[in-house]
Amino acid sequence: MKKTLLPPLIPFIGLTLMAEFLVRQGFVRPYLVPAPSAVFRAMIDSRVELLQALLSTSAGSLAGFALSAFTGIAIAVLLSSSRAVQRAFYPYAIFFQTVPLIAVAPLLVIWFGFGIQTVIASAFVASVFPVIANTLSGILSTDPPLRDLFRLYGASPLATLFKLRLPAALPQVFTGLRVSAGLAVIGAIVGEFIAGGGLGSVVDIARTQQRIDKVFAAVLLASVLGLGLFGLINLLSHLTLRRWHASEQAE
Amino acid sequence: MVRRTFLKAVPAVGLLTACGRSSRIKLALNWKPEPEFGGFYAAPYSKHGLDVQILPGGAGTPTVQMVGAGSVDFGIVSADEIVLARSHGNDVVALFAVFQNNPFGIMAHASRNLTNIGDVLKEGTIALQSGLPFARLLERKFGFSHVKVVPSPGGDITSFLNDEKFAQQCYLTSEPIAARRKGASVKVFAVSEIGYNPYTTVLAVSGESLRKNPDAAKALVAVVREGWRAYLDDPKAANQQMHQLNSTMDAETFAEVAEVQKPFIETEDTRRSGLGTMSRERWETLIGQFKELGDISRTIPAEECFRVL
Repeated sequence: MKKTLLPPLIPFIGLTLMAEFLVRQGFVRPYLVPAPSAVFRAMIDSRVELLQALLSTSAGSLAGFALSAFTGIAIAVLLSSSRAVQRAFYPYAIFFQTVPLIAVAPLLVIWFGFGIQTVIASAFVASVFPVIANTLSGILSTDPPLRDLFRLYGASPLATLFKLRLPAALPQVFTGLRVSAGLAVIGAIVGEFIAGGGLGSVVDIARTQQRIDKVFAAVLLASVLGLGLFGLINLLSHLTLRRWHASEQAE
Repeated sequence: MVRRTFLKAVPAVGLLTACGRSSRIKLALNWKPEPEFGGFYAAPYSKHGLDVQILPGGAGTPTVQMVGAGSVDFGIVSADEIVLARSHGNDVVALFAVFQNNPFGIMAHASRNLTNIGDVLKEGTIALQSGLPFARLLERKFGFSHVKVVPSPGGDITSFLNDEKFAQQCYLTSEPIAARRKGASVKVFAVSEIGYNPYTTVLAVSGESLRKNPDAAKALVAVVREGWRAYLDDPKAANQQMHQLNSTMDAETFAEVAEVQKPFIETEDTRRSGLGTMSRERWETLIGQFKELGDISRTIPAEECFRVL
């Protein structure tokens, strides 16, 4: 515990103290960067509103992320079935990565309406590609000698997929999920800018009111959410891979 | 030998570029180039020896912070933003108010047969920038318990056109025109109906700049005033320039909006005291409203908020 929590905590405390000092002494103007104490006060003052917003954004990003995880893995499995299928459809998967989300979000609102469904859709669009890319890469890089072994024993393609290729791809799947988790939070918040609700809405409204302390408080909570999701994936990865994969056995 | 020449050249080039940079005046807009900024594009800056660069903005451009921080020399903000900014210690000052009357309104479908702004909030959906003072005044006055509040789509009227019970915040001079062109029959309610009427499209400068170089500000305001006079008399050239920068609005709409916005810009007050004029009473009323809303903790002296040059 000490080894993982203490090292990142030290620079955090240091930076916070420095920021507080800079704002109090007037080196940085408070309407550009709020003093950490002001952000803390905003968190306490608006705790009910921020907590509700956090719950809403969590729901939206988790749902979007779950959708990305399932759909992404499924698509990757489909793409891995043949070279031809891959060549035909992979470019469209890339579309999800490159489309500018802030431009697509208004379209999502027109199609799905104002509400959490659009937030989920936005989180999905933002986070599905890393899952597809990493899962596909994992499935396709199965050790050739192992594939040969399965072929020698007369295993069907489906059996090879579920008993060899997918399990072997798990570390890469988790890499994809780690990246996707953070993106799901970003996608949810972008969706909230346009569709309303959650931390995105708090940021937008506080910004209009020039309450930069509240903006920082909401952004901080969003980062915590992203970190939380990331930690969850790491835990899942550890539990799944600890018995046999080098990445979880180091140290 | 080469190194010595290079070392001598670097500070010289640096000096030259710094010179160029210091005389270029940056003016940041808080939206895309549209008729509401016409006078700024029509202004004859070079004729008066000024090198002005107009920076178009968009949704969320933080002009009031940009001016306060000094990243631009001048910016377009609204009077209510200035009051809020000053209460947070951001020293910005208004110099020229293009819109004498606030052109914010609520746009609803005519088929709903609504008679006043409160009616709009009795059912359906309303798209507002909830953080804006007028939205909060509306909430205080009428309550949002019967209406679904969603974020303002910023000029996009698609959701409005698709849903009869959808109302949205608008600039009286733009969205209604766009909606009518798409065949919708609209009824608009001016926000000033509830007594909220801050100056809008206001040219602002930082207090520090104003103290250091009042003549530069005065010179710019004079040219801007000329530009607005020119734009009001004939908007065609500036409209063309802006249309090239902002193709989301067609040329016909540019012309229509330029015409429709005239009564907001040229009023009895401006005919008496000049375009862009501001009065202390209007500022005091606004500050009072902010105090009532609880957005500012102490009263700000009205005379600190604006300067008529």
